[in-house]
Amino acid sequence: MAHLVFENVSVRYPIYNARAQSLRHQFMRIATGGKIAAEAGQTVAVTALDDVSFELKSGDAIGLVGHNGAGKSTLLRTMAGIYTQDSGRILREGRIATVLEIGSGMDPELSGYENILRMGMLMGMSLKEARSKIPEIEEFTELGDFLSLPVRTYSSGMSMRLMFAVGTSFQPEILLVDEMFGTGDAGFQEKAKARMHDLIANAEIFVFASHDHVMLGSLCSRVYELKHGKMNHLPDFHVKTLEQPES
Amino acid sequence: MSSRWQQTRSDIFEALGRLPAALFLSWSDTKARYKRSMLGPFWLTLGTAIGVGGLGFVWSTLFKMDKATFIPLLTVGLILWGFIAGIVTESSQLFIQNAQLIRNLRIPLFFYPIKLVLRHLINLAHNAIVIVIVFLIYPPDWHWGAWLVIPGFILVVLNLSWMSLFIGMFAARYRDTETAITNFMPLLFFMSPVLFKAEQLGVGSWIVWLNPFSYFISIVRDPLLGHSSPEFVWPVAIGMVLVGWALTLWMFNSRRTRIPYWI
Repeated sequence: MAHLVFENVSVRYPIYNARAQSLRHQFMRIATGGKIAAEAGQTVAVTALDDVSFELKSGDAIGLVGHNGAGKSTLLRTMAGIYTQDSGRILREGRIATVLEIGSGMDPELSGYENILRMGMLMGMSLKEARSKIPEIEEFTELGDFLSLPVRTYSSGMSMRLMFAVGTSFQPEILLVDEMFGTGDAGFQEKAKARMHDLIANAEIFVFASHDHVMLGSLCSRVYELKHGKMNHLPDFHVKTLEQPES
Repeated sequence: MSSRWQQTRSDIFEALGRLPAALFLSWSDTKARYKRSMLGPFWLTLGTAIGVGGLGFVWSTLFKMDKATFIPLLTVGLILWGFIAGIVTESSQLFIQNAQLIRNLRIPLFFYPIKLVLRHLINLAHNAIVIVIVFLIYPPDWHWGAWLVIPGFILVVLNLSWMSLFIGMFAARYRDTETAITNFMPLLFFMSPVLFKAEQLGVGSWIVWLNPFSYFISIVRDPLLGHSSPEFVWPVAIGMVLVGWALTLWMFNSRRTRIPYWI
């Protein structure tokens, strides 16, 4: 049973400007009593999540919408445990997989096969486990002989196939996916959708941030909007999508 | 026991549990670097051999020194310096370079310094071949104290490990750290007994012992060449391990969760 609970979670995100990241300016600030280089210490804190509470159980497929910078990625990273909350409690039960940015963890000089092993091990698999996933990944990505070539020769669509295949290869119980289907061709999008339907059908938790309303409508049972650090349920999301299909 | 410290502890233990993965990845990093070359990682060995051979002959002639004492001294010194300077310099990129990984996968942060130190140990193992060759040509005059090279080397690795994490965190927060380090390393090179022995400086030798890296070179090289280190080298190296780790763990504990925001 997978479980993901947020209780009054707030995340504040410090933004450091060039001056705040300069050691010289920090020394100046101390030496001058903070009068001359007053700007140096200023870091702007953005409240990305403000007192958010929710409970996700097995079988939940959640969509996240919101403007650029509304905090969708921050929320996904907080769910994954990459960012730590400033206040509130988070309970995670289940193996988490993240498919957030294309290309993370891949070494462009190494072949597709070597990168499968690398990424598998970065995700916490043993070498043996990672090796055992290769046939399935070969089949799913349909990359064929390209898997023996260095990843730098891949198109962005191809590296995305590889990323997605590895990211979802170990049957995660909680799958967190950020907008990343822009680059796949139609055939792959269908396959990815089918695999996500499988994962959802296996009664696990799925959270998907996207601007693609059609995709959200077909994969997610509930959709939330993130705005000013708050999460609002959009009960009539599916109705609206049917009325005016957006791209 | 606060929950913060418990989380820090589980970060460290989880990272130590991933030691096989760190080893595999650092080996695959090493391979990737020399992917499109014929000799592969043995370029490291060859490069070191050329450097040591050239410098050894030029300098021993220039300084009118006995080749049989100078060349082993220089070889071990240069290779150790390469190991130390490699870890210290690259640590300023420790978290910055892995930013994409840190922001996208949940990997214990303690994993990164482990991986960096392992990769440099792999490099050092390749370079050690040159030491073996030099020792075959100029056999050192070993006595019972030579075994001290093992605890000495362990102390050096323990020291460089906390330095890596410390510098990595500091450089992620303050970006000019990297420039500062690259500018200070040449100075520290001339302050360390790579090209000479500290005793040769006579009264001025105290200046060498201001440099922490001098202890690392002395504690490994002296037993390896059949000398004994000055007796104060051991307590200083052990003290550095204790104080350094205490300071680094305190900083890691209080600032660990900030690292993903800094990078």
